[in-house]
Amino acid sequence: MGLIFGSGSFTRFMVDGDVPENYMEEFPPRILRCAFRDIDETSDLERSFGWVNIMDMFDSRFAAMEYLKEPCIAMSWRVDVRKVPARALLRYCREAEEKIKATEELEYLPKPRRAEIKEAVRIKLLKRAIPRSQAYDMIWNLHTRVLIFGSTNNKLCDEFTEFFLTCFGLHLKAIFPYTIALQVLEKEGQNPDLLDGLHASSVGEVQ
Amino acid sequence: MQLMEKVRQTEFLGREFLLWLWFQCEINEERFDLGENGQAELWFDRRIVLQAESDEGVEKITCSGENPHLREARFALTKNKEITEAMIKLTIDDNEWSFILDSTWMNFKSFKTPRVMQDTKEDPEGLFHEKFFLIEKAVTTMDAIYASFIKIRISPKWETHELPAVLRWVGEGK
Repeated sequence: MGLIFGSGSFTRFMVDGDVPENYMEEFPPRILRCAFRDIDETSDLERSFGWVNIMDMFDSRFAAMEYLKEPCIAMSWRVDVRKVPARALLRYCREAEEKIKATEELEYLPKPRRAEIKEAVRIKLLKRAIPRSQAYDMIWNLHTRVLIFGSTNNKLCDEFTEFFLTCFGLHLKAIFPYTIALQVLEKEGQNPDLLDGLHASSVGEVQ
Repeated sequence: MQLMEKVRQTEFLGREFLLWLWFQCEINEERFDLGENGQAELWFDRRIVLQAESDEGVEKITCSGENPHLREARFALTKNKEITEAMIKLTIDDNEWSFILDSTWMNFKSFKTPRVMQDTKEDPEGLFHEKFFLIEKAVTTMDAIYASFIKIRISPKWETHELPAVLRWVGEGK
Protein backbone atom coordinates (compact mmCIF):
# COMPACT_ATOMS: atom_id res chain seq x y z
CA MET A 1 0.00 0.00 0.00
CA GLY A 2 1.33 3.38 -0.94
CA LEU A 3 1.11 6.71 0.80
CA ILE A 4 -2.29 7.55 -0.62
CA PHE A 5 -4.05 4.38 0.48
CA GLY A 6 -2.29 3.71 3.74
CA SER A 7 0.84 4.51 5.69
CA GLY A 8 4.38 4.55 4.39
CA SER A 9 7.79 6.12 4.36
CA PHE A 10 9.00 8.87 2.10
CA THR A 11 11.98 10.90 1.02
CA ARG A 12 11.79 14.47 -0.20
CA PHE A 13 13.57 15.92 -3.21
CA MET A 14 13.75 19.34 -4.82
CA VAL A 15 13.23 19.32 -8.58
CA ASP A 16 16.17 21.22 -10.05
CA GLY A 17 15.11 23.39 -12.95
CA ASP A 18 11.95 25.03 -14.15
CA VAL A 19 8.90 23.20 -15.33
CA PRO A 20 8.41 24.15 -18.99
CA GLU A 21 5.52 26.54 -19.57
CA ASN A 22 4.03 24.13 -22.08
CA TYR A 23 4.29 21.18 -19.68
CA MET A 24 0.74 20.13 -20.54
CA GLU A 25 1.99 19.37 -24.05
CA GLU A 26 5.52 18.30 -23.21
CA PHE A 27 4.97 15.96 -20.28
CA PRO A 28 2.26 13.57 -21.57
CA PRO A 29 4.41 11.97 -24.31
CA ARG A 30 7.37 11.77 -21.90
CA ILE A 31 5.22 10.04 -19.28
CA LEU A 32 3.78 7.60 -21.81
CA ARG A 33 7.28 6.73 -23.04
CA CYS A 34 8.23 5.85 -19.47
CA ALA A 35 4.95 4.16 -18.54
CA PHE A 36 5.24 0.71 -16.99
CA ARG A 37 5.30 -2.30 -19.30
CA ASP A 38 4.89 -5.88 -18.13
CA ILE A 39 7.89 -8.16 -18.46
CA ASP A 40 7.38 -10.22 -21.60
CA GLU A 41 7.02 -13.84 -20.53
CA THR A 42 9.42 -14.98 -23.25
CA SER A 43 12.13 -12.46 -22.33
CA ASP A 44 14.95 -13.07 -19.88
CA LEU A 45 14.56 -9.66 -18.19
CA GLU A 46 14.67 -9.72 -14.40
CA ARG A 47 13.25 -6.26 -13.88
CA SER A 48 10.83 -3.79 -15.37
CA PHE A 49 9.87 -0.36 -14.10
CA GLY A 50 7.79 2.63 -15.11
CA TRP A 51 4.92 4.95 -14.25
CA VAL A 52 1.48 3.71 -13.25
CA ASN A 53 -1.67 5.45 -12.08
CA ILE A 54 -1.25 6.42 -8.41
CA MET A 55 -4.82 5.29 -7.74
CA ASP A 56 -4.44 1.96 -9.56
CA MET A 57 -1.06 0.29 -9.94
CA PHE A 58 -2.36 -1.97 -12.73
CA ASP A 59 -3.22 0.97 -14.98
CA SER A 60 -0.38 2.44 -17.01
CA ARG A 61 -2.41 3.76 -19.96
CA PHE A 62 -3.19 7.18 -18.45
CA ALA A 63 -6.15 7.45 -20.84
CA ALA A 64 -7.49 10.51 -19.01
CA MET A 65 -4.10 11.93 -17.95
CA GLU A 66 -4.82 10.77 -14.40
CA TYR A 67 -1.40 12.04 -13.32
CA LEU A 68 -2.58 15.67 -13.50
CA LYS A 69 -3.74 16.56 -10.01
CA GLU A 70 -3.50 20.32 -9.63
CA PRO A 71 -1.05 21.60 -8.41
CA CYS A 72 0.75 18.26 -8.66
CA ILE A 73 1.83 15.55 -10.97
CA ALA A 74 1.20 12.32 -9.11
CA MET A 75 1.99 8.80 -10.22
CA SER A 76 3.45 5.65 -8.80
CA TRP A 77 6.74 4.18 -9.88
CA ARG A 78 6.08 0.49 -10.34
CA VAL A 79 8.98 -1.93 -10.12
CA ASP A 80 8.48 -5.57 -11.05
CA VAL A 81 11.22 -8.00 -10.20
CA ARG A 82 11.33 -11.71 -10.91
CA LYS A 83 13.96 -13.92 -9.40
CA VAL A 84 14.88 -17.55 -9.38
CA PRO A 85 15.07 -18.90 -5.83
CA ALA A 86 18.67 -19.92 -5.06
CA ARG A 87 17.72 -23.42 -3.87
CA ALA A 88 15.59 -24.08 -6.94
CA LEU A 89 18.47 -22.97 -9.17
CA LEU A 90 20.85 -25.29 -7.35
CA ARG A 91 18.49 -28.23 -7.63
CA TYR A 92 17.73 -27.79 -11.35
CA CYS A 93 21.42 -27.18 -12.11
CA ARG A 94 22.39 -30.43 -10.44
CA GLU A 95 19.72 -32.30 -12.36
CA ALA A 96 20.85 -30.74 -15.67
CA GLU A 97 24.51 -31.48 -14.95
CA GLU A 98 23.76 -35.11 -14.05
CA LYS A 99 21.76 -35.52 -17.23
CA ILE A 100 24.56 -34.10 -19.41
CA LYS A 101 27.20 -36.22 -17.66
CA ALA A 102 25.11 -39.32 -18.30
CA THR A 103 24.40 -38.58 -21.97
CA GLU A 104 27.94 -37.51 -22.76
CA GLU A 105 29.49 -40.18 -20.54
CA LEU A 106 31.62 -37.69 -18.65
CA GLU A 107 32.96 -38.09 -15.14
CA TYR A 108 33.06 -34.40 -14.38
CA LEU A 109 32.18 -31.11 -16.06
CA PRO A 110 34.70 -28.30 -16.44
CA LYS A 111 33.94 -24.99 -14.69
CA PRO A 112 33.09 -22.98 -17.85
CA ARG A 113 30.64 -25.68 -18.93
CA ARG A 114 28.98 -25.69 -15.49
CA ALA A 115 28.63 -21.89 -15.65
CA GLU A 116 27.04 -22.25 -19.09
CA ILE A 117 24.55 -24.79 -17.76
CA LYS A 118 23.78 -22.62 -14.75
CA GLU A 119 22.96 -19.61 -16.94
CA ALA A 120 20.78 -21.68 -19.27
CA VAL A 121 18.89 -23.14 -16.31
CA ARG A 122 18.52 -19.71 -14.70
CA ILE A 123 17.00 -18.21 -17.86
CA LYS A 124 14.67 -21.20 -18.27
CA LEU A 125 13.46 -20.88 -14.67
CA LEU A 126 13.27 -17.09 -14.87
CA LYS A 127 10.70 -17.35 -17.65
CA ARG A 128 8.53 -19.37 -15.28
CA ALA A 129 8.93 -17.03 -12.32
CA ILE A 130 6.08 -14.73 -11.31
CA PRO A 131 7.24 -11.12 -10.86
CA ARG A 132 6.90 -9.39 -7.52
CA SER A 133 5.32 -5.97 -7.98
CA GLN A 134 5.94 -2.89 -5.83
CA ALA A 135 4.63 0.60 -6.42
CA TYR A 136 6.19 3.70 -4.88
CA ASP A 137 4.08 6.84 -4.89
CA MET A 138 5.51 10.02 -6.33
CA ILE A 139 3.86 13.40 -5.73
CA TRP A 140 5.49 16.37 -7.41
CA ASN A 141 4.18 19.75 -6.36
CA LEU A 142 4.75 21.94 -9.40
CA HIS A 143 4.37 25.15 -7.39
CA THR A 144 6.87 24.40 -4.63
CA ARG A 145 9.07 22.05 -6.78
CA VAL A 146 9.14 19.65 -3.84
CA LEU A 147 8.75 16.01 -4.77
CA ILE A 148 7.75 13.25 -2.37
CA PHE A 149 8.89 9.72 -3.20
CA GLY A 150 7.45 6.82 -1.26
CA SER A 151 10.63 5.08 -0.16
CA THR A 152 13.58 5.78 2.14
CA ASN A 153 15.84 3.13 0.64
CA ASN A 154 18.97 4.90 -0.63
CA LYS A 155 19.61 2.53 -3.53
CA LEU A 156 16.01 2.72 -4.71
CA CYS A 157 16.03 6.52 -4.36
CA ASP A 158 19.16 6.67 -6.54
CA GLU A 159 17.51 4.49 -9.18
CA PHE A 160 14.41 6.64 -9.04
CA THR A 161 16.33 9.91 -9.53
CA GLU A 162 17.99 8.39 -12.62
CA PHE A 163 14.63 7.27 -13.95
CA PHE A 164 13.12 10.71 -13.27
CA LEU A 165 15.98 12.39 -15.16
CA THR A 166 15.50 10.05 -18.12
CA CYS A 167 11.78 10.75 -18.15
CA PHE A 168 11.60 14.51 -17.57
CA GLY A 169 15.16 15.67 -18.22
CA LEU A 170 15.19 17.23 -14.75
CA HIS A 171 17.56 16.48 -11.87
CA LEU A 172 16.33 15.70 -8.37
CA LYS A 173 18.31 17.23 -5.53
CA ALA A 174 18.29 15.51 -2.18
CA ILE A 175 16.69 17.38 0.71
CA PHE A 176 18.40 16.96 4.08
CA PRO A 177 18.76 19.10 7.24
CA TYR A 178 21.49 21.30 5.75
CA THR A 179 19.49 22.15 2.59
CA ILE A 180 16.33 22.86 4.60
CA ALA A 181 18.37 25.15 6.86
CA LEU A 182 19.78 26.94 3.78
CA GLN A 183 16.22 27.63 2.61
CA VAL A 184 15.37 29.05 6.04
CA LEU A 185 18.33 31.45 5.85
CA GLU A 186 17.48 32.48 2.29
CA LYS A 187 13.90 33.19 3.32
CA GLU A 188 15.09 35.25 6.27
CA GLY A 189 17.54 37.15 4.08
CA GLN A 190 20.45 35.87 6.18
CA ASN A 191 23.92 35.02 4.95
CA PRO A 192 24.13 31.29 4.07
CA ASP A 193 27.77 31.31 5.25
CA LEU A 194 26.40 31.39 8.80
CA LEU A 195 25.47 27.77 8.34
CA ASP A 196 28.86 26.67 7.04
CA GLY A 197 30.48 28.24 10.09
CA LEU A 198 28.53 26.00 12.48
CA HIS A 199 30.11 23.05 14.26
CA ALA A 200 28.52 20.28 16.30
CA SER A 201 27.70 21.43 19.82
CA SER A 202 29.71 19.78 22.49
CA VAL A 203 27.25 17.77 24.56
CA GLY A 204 29.72 15.20 25.83
CA GLU A 205 29.17 12.86 28.75
CA VAL A 206 27.08 14.57 31.42
CA GLN A 207 28.57 14.14 34.88
CA MET B 1 31.68 18.57 -2.43
CA GLN B 2 30.06 15.19 -2.90
CA LEU B 3 26.54 14.85 -1.56
CA MET B 4 27.34 12.15 0.98
CA GLU B 5 30.33 14.09 2.28
CA LYS B 6 28.13 17.15 2.86
CA VAL B 7 25.46 15.00 4.51
CA ARG B 8 28.05 13.48 6.87
CA GLN B 9 29.64 16.82 7.62
CA THR B 10 26.34 18.46 8.58
CA GLU B 11 24.47 15.52 10.10
CA PHE B 12 24.85 17.11 13.55
CA LEU B 13 22.10 19.56 12.53
CA GLY B 14 19.46 16.82 12.36
CA ARG B 15 20.68 15.16 15.57
CA GLU B 16 20.77 18.39 17.52
CA PHE B 17 17.34 19.24 16.16
CA LEU B 18 15.86 16.00 17.53
CA LEU B 19 17.52 16.62 20.91
CA TRP B 20 16.24 20.22 21.00
CA LEU B 21 12.80 19.05 19.86
CA TRP B 22 12.53 16.56 22.72
CA PHE B 23 13.71 19.21 25.17
CA GLN B 24 11.14 21.68 23.82
CA CYS B 25 8.37 19.06 24.06
CA GLU B 26 9.16 18.58 27.74
CA ILE B 27 9.51 22.22 28.76
CA ASN B 28 6.63 23.58 26.64
CA GLU B 29 4.19 20.84 27.61
CA GLU B 30 4.28 19.58 24.02
CA ARG B 31 2.95 22.83 22.55
CA PHE B 32 4.52 24.57 19.57
CA ASP B 33 3.47 27.95 18.27
CA LEU B 34 3.17 27.98 14.47
CA GLY B 35 2.51 31.71 14.17
CA GLU B 36 -0.44 32.44 11.89
CA ASN B 37 -0.93 28.70 11.38
CA GLY B 38 -2.01 28.21 14.98
CA GLN B 39 -0.55 25.72 17.38
CA ALA B 40 0.64 22.13 17.23
CA GLU B 41 1.06 19.58 19.94
CA LEU B 42 3.96 17.22 19.54
CA TRP B 43 5.49 14.51 21.67
CA PHE B 44 8.04 11.73 21.45
CA ASP B 45 6.22 8.47 21.45
CA ARG B 46 7.54 5.09 22.60
CA ARG B 47 10.53 4.67 20.31
CA ILE B 48 13.88 6.43 20.02
CA VAL B 49 17.07 5.31 18.31
CA LEU B 50 20.34 6.70 19.66
CA GLN B 51 23.87 6.38 18.45
CA ALA B 52 27.38 6.97 19.73
CA GLU B 53 30.43 7.13 17.53
CA SER B 54 33.93 6.51 18.82
CA ASP B 55 37.26 5.16 17.61
CA GLU B 56 35.92 1.70 18.32
CA GLY B 57 33.04 2.17 15.91
CA VAL B 58 29.35 2.99 15.97
CA GLU B 59 27.15 1.88 18.83
CA LYS B 60 23.41 2.05 18.27
CA ILE B 61 20.63 1.51 20.78
CA THR B 62 16.89 1.45 20.36
CA CYS B 63 14.71 2.39 23.30
CA SER B 64 11.07 1.45 23.03
CA GLY B 65 8.30 0.81 25.47
CA GLU B 66 5.15 2.14 27.02
CA ASN B 67 6.91 4.41 29.53
CA PRO B 68 5.95 7.92 28.37
CA HIS B 69 9.14 9.43 29.85
CA LEU B 70 11.46 7.11 27.89
CA ARG B 71 13.82 7.01 30.90
CA GLU B 72 16.38 4.70 29.30
CA ALA B 73 16.67 7.02 26.32
CA ARG B 74 17.02 10.04 28.62
CA PHE B 75 19.79 8.23 30.49
CA ALA B 76 21.51 7.34 27.21
CA LEU B 77 21.69 11.05 26.36
CA THR B 78 23.84 11.59 29.44
CA LYS B 79 26.24 8.97 28.06
CA ASN B 80 27.11 10.89 24.93
CA LYS B 81 24.51 9.20 22.72
CA GLU B 82 22.80 11.22 20.02
CA ILE B 83 19.27 10.79 18.71
CA THR B 84 19.14 9.53 15.13
CA GLU B 85 15.47 8.56 14.92
CA ALA B 86 12.40 9.34 16.97
CA MET B 87 8.79 8.30 16.74
CA ILE B 88 6.70 11.43 16.90
CA LYS B 89 3.03 12.12 17.43
CA LEU B 90 1.80 15.41 16.04
CA THR B 91 -1.61 16.93 16.70
CA ILE B 92 -3.10 19.99 15.04
CA ASP B 93 -6.71 20.78 15.93
CA ASP B 94 -8.43 17.37 15.89
CA ASN B 95 -5.98 15.74 13.51
CA GLU B 96 -3.23 13.39 14.66
CA TRP B 97 -0.23 12.19 12.67
CA SER B 98 2.33 9.60 13.64
CA PHE B 99 5.75 9.10 12.06
CA ILE B 100 9.40 8.32 12.66
CA LEU B 101 11.64 11.27 11.87
CA ASP B 102 15.17 10.46 10.78
CA SER B 103 18.00 12.86 11.59
CA THR B 104 20.23 12.22 8.57
CA TRP B 105 17.81 12.92 5.73
CA MET B 106 14.85 14.27 7.69
CA ASN B 107 12.87 11.44 6.11
CA PHE B 108 9.47 10.43 7.37
CA LYS B 109 9.07 6.73 8.06
CA SER B 110 5.95 4.73 9.01
CA PHE B 111 4.02 7.89 8.28
CA LYS B 112 0.35 7.76 9.25
CA THR B 113 -2.07 10.58 8.54
CA PRO B 114 -5.37 11.17 10.32
CA ARG B 115 -8.20 9.10 8.93
CA VAL B 116 -9.36 10.30 5.53
CA MET B 117 -13.10 10.84 5.15
CA GLN B 118 -13.33 10.64 1.36
CA ASP B 119 -14.59 7.49 -0.30
CA THR B 120 -12.04 5.74 -2.53
CA LYS B 121 -14.60 4.53 -5.06
CA GLU B 122 -17.01 7.46 -5.01
CA ASP B 123 -14.42 10.21 -5.16
CA PRO B 124 -10.83 9.08 -5.82
CA GLU B 125 -9.72 12.63 -6.68
CA GLY B 126 -11.10 13.88 -3.37
CA LEU B 127 -9.24 11.11 -1.55
CA PHE B 128 -5.97 12.05 -3.24
CA HIS B 129 -6.30 15.75 -2.48
CA GLU B 130 -7.29 15.19 1.14
CA LYS B 131 -4.39 12.80 1.66
CA PHE B 132 -1.95 15.13 -0.07
CA PHE B 133 -3.16 18.03 2.05
CA LEU B 134 -2.57 15.97 5.21
CA ILE B 135 0.93 14.92 4.12
CA GLU B 136 1.89 18.51 3.29
CA LYS B 137 0.42 19.79 6.55
CA ALA B 138 2.65 17.53 8.65
CA VAL B 139 5.72 18.20 6.51
CA THR B 140 5.33 21.99 6.54
CA THR B 141 4.68 21.93 10.29
CA MET B 142 7.88 19.99 10.93
CA ASP B 143 9.77 22.32 8.57
CA ALA B 144 8.40 25.32 10.48
CA ILE B 145 9.54 23.86 13.81
CA TYR B 146 12.93 23.03 12.27
CA ALA B 147 13.16 26.64 11.01
CA SER B 148 12.63 27.86 14.61
CA PHE B 149 15.49 25.61 15.69
CA ILE B 150 17.81 26.86 12.92
CA LYS B 151 17.10 30.50 13.78
CA ILE B 152 18.13 29.85 17.39
CA ARG B 153 21.02 27.60 16.36
CA ILE B 154 22.72 30.30 14.26
CA SER B 155 22.14 33.02 16.84
CA PRO B 156 24.46 33.80 19.80
CA LYS B 157 21.53 32.81 22.01
CA TRP B 158 22.32 29.16 21.26
CA GLU B 159 25.61 29.19 23.14
CA THR B 160 24.53 31.55 25.91
CA HIS B 161 21.01 30.31 26.76
CA GLU B 162 19.58 27.46 24.73
CA LEU B 163 22.44 24.94 24.79
CA PRO B 164 23.10 25.34 28.55
CA ALA B 165 19.37 24.81 29.18
CA VAL B 166 19.34 21.71 26.97
CA LEU B 167 22.40 20.35 28.80
CA ARG B 168 20.79 20.96 32.18
CA TRP B 169 17.74 19.04 31.01
CA VAL B 170 19.94 16.22 29.68
CA GLY B 171 21.68 16.07 33.07
CA GLU B 172 18.33 15.65 34.82
CA GLY B 173 17.93 12.33 32.96
CA LYS B 174 20.63 10.64 35.07
